[in-house]
Amino acid sequence: MHPSLTNAERQIGLGLAVGLALLGLAMAAMARDGAMAVHGAIALALGLGLVFRLGGALYDAAPAGPDRAARYDDAPTRFGITMTLAWAMIGMGAGIWVAALLYWPEGTPPWPATSFGRLRPVHTTGIIFGFGGNALIATSFWVLQRTARARLADAISPWVVLIGYNLFCTWAVTGYLMGSTQSKEYAEAEWYADLWLVVVWVIYFALYLRTLARRAEPHIYVANWYYMAFILVVAMLHIVNNIALPVSLAGAKSYTVWAGVQDAMIQWWYGHNAVAFFLTAGFLGMLYYFLPVRSGRPIWSYRLSILSFWGIVFFYIWVGSHHLHYTALPYWVQTLGMTFSVMLLVPSWASAGNAIATLNGAWGRVRDDATLRFMFVAAVFYGLSTFEGSFLAIRPVNSLSHYTDWTVGHVHSGTLGWVAMIIFGAIYTIVPQLAGREAMAWPKAVEWHFWLAVLGTLVYVIAMWNAGITQGLMWRTYDANGALSYSFLQSVQAMAPYYLLRTIGGLMFLTGAAICALNCRATLRAATARDLRNDRPLAAQPAE
Amino acid sequence: MRNPSDPRALPGADPHTGNRLVDPVTGYDTTGHDWGGIRELNTPFPRIAVIALLLTFLYSVITWILLPAWPTGNDYTRGLLGLDQGRMARDGYQAVDATRQGWLAGFSDPDFAALASDDLLMAQAMPAAARLFADNCAACHGDAGAGGPGFPALNDADWLWGGAPETVAETIALGINATDNSRFAEMAAFDWLEPAERQALVDHVVALPQGTAATDSPGAVLFADNCAACHGDGGTGGLMTGAPSLADGAVIYGQDAAAVRTTLRHGRRGVMPGWSGRLSGTEINLLALYVATLPEAAP
Amino acid sequence: MVLRLHYNLEKLSMGLVGAIILAASVGGIVEIAPLFTIDETVEIPADLRVLTPLELAGREIYMREGCYACHSQMVRSLADEIDRYGPYSLASESAYDHPMLWGSKRTGPDLARVGGKYSDPWQVAHLIDPRAVVPASIMPAYPWLMRPLDTAGLPGALATLARLGLPYDAAMIAGAKADALAQSRPDGPGIQGFQDRHGDRPALRAFDGDPGRLTEMDALVAYLQSLGTQTAAASALLEEARHEP
Ligand code: HEC
Ligand code: HEC
Ligand code: HEC
Ligand code: HEM
Ligand code: HEM
Ligand SMILES: [Ca+2]
Ligand SMILES: [Ca+2]
Ligand SMILES: [Cu+2]
Repeated sequence: MHPSLTNAERQIGLGLAVGLALLGLAMAAMARDGAMAVHGAIALALGLGLVFRLGGALYDAAPAGPDRAARYDDAPTRFGITMTLAWAMIGMGAGIWVAALLYWPEGTPPWPATSFGRLRPVHTTGIIFGFGGNALIATSFWVLQRTARARLADAISPWVVLIGYNLFCTWAVTGYLMGSTQSKEYAEAEWYADLWLVVVWVIYFALYLRTLARRAEPHIYVANWYYMAFILVVAMLHIVNNIALPVSLAGAKSYTVWAGVQDAMIQWWYGHNAVAFFLTAGFLGMLYYFLPVRSGRPIWSYRLSILSFWGIVFFYIWVGSHHLHYTALPYWVQTLGMTFSVMLLVPSWASAGNAIATLNGAWGRVRDDATLRFMFVAAVFYGLSTFEGSFLAIRPVNSLSHYTDWTVGHVHSGTLGWVAMIIFGAIYTIVPQLAGREAMAWPKAVEWHFWLAVLGTLVYVIAMWNAGITQGLMWRTYDANGALSYSFLQSVQAMAPYYLLRTIGGLMFLTGAAICALNCRATLRAATARDLRNDRPLAAQPAE
Repeated sequence: MRNPSDPRALPGADPHTGNRLVDPVTGYDTTGHDWGGIRELNTPFPRIAVIALLLTFLYSVITWILLPAWPTGNDYTRGLLGLDQGRMARDGYQAVDATRQGWLAGFSDPDFAALASDDLLMAQAMPAAARLFADNCAACHGDAGAGGPGFPALNDADWLWGGAPETVAETIALGINATDNSRFAEMAAFDWLEPAERQALVDHVVALPQGTAATDSPGAVLFADNCAACHGDGGTGGLMTGAPSLADGAVIYGQDAAAVRTTLRHGRRGVMPGWSGRLSGTEINLLALYVATLPEAAP
Repeated sequence: MVLRLHYNLEKLSMGLVGAIILAASVGGIVEIAPLFTIDETVEIPADLRVLTPLELAGREIYMREGCYACHSQMVRSLADEIDRYGPYSLASESAYDHPMLWGSKRTGPDLARVGGKYSDPWQVAHLIDPRAVVPASIMPAYPWLMRPLDTAGLPGALATLARLGLPYDAAMIAGAKADALAQSRPDGPGIQGFQDRHGDRPALRAFDGDPGRLTEMDALVAYLQSLGTQTAAASALLEEARHEP
């Protein structure tokens, strides 16, 4: 980190690190329960680590001032990608472990932190926020600078955002291991972590706007619309869903202010739009940059981009109630959720179609370049999973699929097939450039990764479709005499082969991701000092 | 105001020449912007997207008209069909329930002997009973009714409260030691006995099922004095007090010395939930007959 | 025309920000706000009771262990669910739940009506080792639940919930720790006080089988046994639909 900072910036950084250490110390000292004390200690350790790192480098040679402004600030992106890959290992590892536990339940050691219920949110948070979030932040810096042709507005806030964000993820995940959770799906982290994330997010947003204000092209590129929607709406959702009253300022425990049916609606307004604005909007931003760059083609239709962007932003927010069909949520809200989900299909497919049509004229490259193929497959799975989503949102269909592994299959066709694939495509585009190389260190390994990922996804998703539909049918099937045909336990037993297959599919996917991590390490180690000529910011010229 | 027909005024046109870059592959012009190398085409709006949007909107409007949909402050639009989720659920439940009344209603009749000999009826009913048993009873009594430690077997001929279907039905409906009006079965703690006396009893009880118990040992005497009232002379049970026969293997908690010692030291008061609120009377009768078929099903 | 408008909007970052916020707010407001203003959304029945301190402690453990990841607590209004689990769930049944635990996945069965379905010893045996009682079960074992229950946080927890509008009064808050202990000791001295504060509906039992020790198991089993018993409204509604010749 310090090589990219000037001496003055290192001093500011040092001050912030001391502040973080003090915050951690205060938390650890005041805490009346284990989770908060451990989290204080983690913050303290992180703060101290940064103090040593920056303090030790205070008087090292600083980067030449004026020259720096003529380059993009890619050090944070590099760090973000490292964290993305680290969280991929953690999150997918936890995913495989919980998948295995369902096939092999005796495998749980008598140690609470390894039990299914505690590790499942470690998987979801670790993978969505750790893996997905770091990828979004890292690529957003990359994309923002290049589409604005301007360097990031300042050198410190990107680090504050990334380090602060990773502290949030660490707090969240270690909290669940210790049993500290708000139990709101995808928002399980406790109140102080929630607050911390708000602070980080405000800094992120400010940095984004400040950099955007320096852009060279008066128009803001579509990718940035999506990144902005991601940042803004996630902030809105996060704040409203997480409003909670702590039992004590010195303890981790809090109670959400929402109760019962209103809580359910707010939770899924959040939960669905975590999908929409975290797992979709942000990644569409990624797609809109890396696909044209890698394929060398212009975006197929600017007008279609407008339709899909506003369609997604406007429609998505209505559909959370499709998670609550036939529940105690009033019927009228379910109807709205269902109908908007169906309308949502149009902008969703418009963006998938726009991406695929962009490849017109570059199909040869798709065939030859595994990186571009990752992006193509991502767009296809994006189309598939949104179609599936709109289908599942129809009440009668949902009566079969809800509560079953069909939902899990849908989730992973979206997350493995779309989110993870587009991340890998972006990583394979960025990493060689970070290393000043034409290609990854082991180009063949990219090919291996691609096939492992596709195969793993298919095995996982097809197994879960079968599992879910079987389950749903077994729960509701009546025999000719009007009696339910199967007991619940029979449906549990029927899942065994699918749970095994899913674990195998997940293992393939993780193997691919591990190859990617090693490949990235090898590539970055084999960095050349070559500077890519035309990848530079333009002279600062405010656009607005 | 600029002239709208002026090509230079068009989005993305070069302000001087009015020209835009044309993509050689598709033949469309670009919007003229350049974001670090990325361009976009000015491809006209695909008609199909608009049609699809209209179609899905039409679907939505129709749905909104028919179903409850839009909030209006303190109320919401009910929809022309006047549907209510709760009422639909109750109607739906009534409908499936009606499909089985043809045969199920027969089980409201407490003439169990007649029911059990009606092969056709039993053939219709037993799959339903098996599912009810699996979802409600198997957790304790095992899926074949073989029981387990703390939970009696139902597939043998030994009964705590009697094996006649009437009695079984009553046991299921009331439960045992669950509420104030369930059957009451308590094995008092004999912690007031001397340890040596308890040991003698343990030896005696452990010997009972093996048929090696003496009739005049100190244990036997203690047993006759303290236990036979509930467990019957010689521990043969059958008194319908909820006390099991100790002379055969069909006990609840086990007949090794340790289990018997625990029983004597702390007493026992097994609990079986009452099912009358959860299951209907006909379903309970059905289960009573199902329980009677368990021995045959057992291997 | 619209295109032109957008063409200009794209040049203003704050314009985009405002437009995004506007577009992304409508749906949430229209769907969420009326849930607070339409009376029939939640009709609190007269017999609805709050959880006792011990049951609340059990609910915390339920959340801590992530039981909600596998178990729903929401019987949907569908005939087959009513058939399998019992009356469909009403909004009022979770009106006091901060947060709700409706769940989104049924790896295990729904638990909304599990209160009273099994005995305490079964619950204990099942939680310590599910496969000891249900050989085909894939539920994890929770042997560590036999450790002592920490009741120190209960008064604060009740007080916080009271501030959020739950009917916990000052006496309940002050007596929270004593009441947690009393509920698990059917022959103990605290019964009278417990019933004065919480009435005679909550079960008073040595849930884990040992009245001498207050364990996490006591709390969790007390909570499980309370599920579906806080109000009779749902079963009353369904009663009329049952065929009982
Ligand atoms: C929570 C565990 C549990 C469940 C569930 C359960 N039982 Fe029982 N059942 C018991 C126990 C324990 C006893 C013995 C009580 C005692 O110790 O006296 C028993 C006793 C019985 C008896 C009396 C046996 C005799 O020898 O007289 C019958 C009959 C019976 N159960 C049937 C059923 C049926 C039918 C169901 C399902 C509807 C069921 N049980 C569900 C625990 C359970
Ligand atoms: C008041 C009646 C009563 C008396 C007196 C009584 N028992 Fe019992 N006994 C019972 C009942 C009822 C049960 C079943 C407990 C249950 O349902 O959980 C039982 C169960 C037992 C069991 C456990 C059997 C099993 O299922 O594993 C043993 C052993 C036993 N009694 C031995 C004795 C001995 C020895 C004595 C005398 C010292 C005795 N009982 C006196 C009522 C009695
Ligand atoms: C990995 C998924 C999983 C987790 C986590 C889990 N369960 Fe289960 N649970 C199951 C399955 C599967 C069954 C059905 C088989 C059985 O009865 O064990 C079940 C059954 C049950 C039942 C019996 C329900 C009935 O009506 O038969 C109860 C009660 C229960 N679980 C409570 C809990 C509690 C409390 C926790 C948390 C401490 C928990 N479960 C965590 C999977 C899970
Ligand atoms: C190695 C690959 C993976 C494996 C083996 C895996 C496995 C699992 C398992 C076992 C579950 C729990 C399902 C259940 O409760 O029945 C789960 C849930 C989930 N996973 Fe994954 N996962 C993987 C990758 C991912 C990725 C890459 C993402 C996101 C980017 C992701 C997001 C989720 C989400 C959101 C859920 C919650 C689903 C729900 O609640 O319906 N997973 N995963
Ligand atoms: C048009 C787009 C989409 C629609 C309409 C949609 C709809 C749905 C529906 C109906 C459910 C099931 C709710 C239930 O029964 O519980 C669901 C679950 C889910 N979907 Fe989608 N989906 C869409 C796209 C996506 C995408 C692209 C992803 C991932 C990248 C995704 C991730 C998820 C997740 C994580 C869940 C599980 C939520 C939970 O229960 O925990 N969805 N979606
Ligand atoms: Ca939270
Ligand atoms: Ca879920
Ligand atoms: Cu959704």
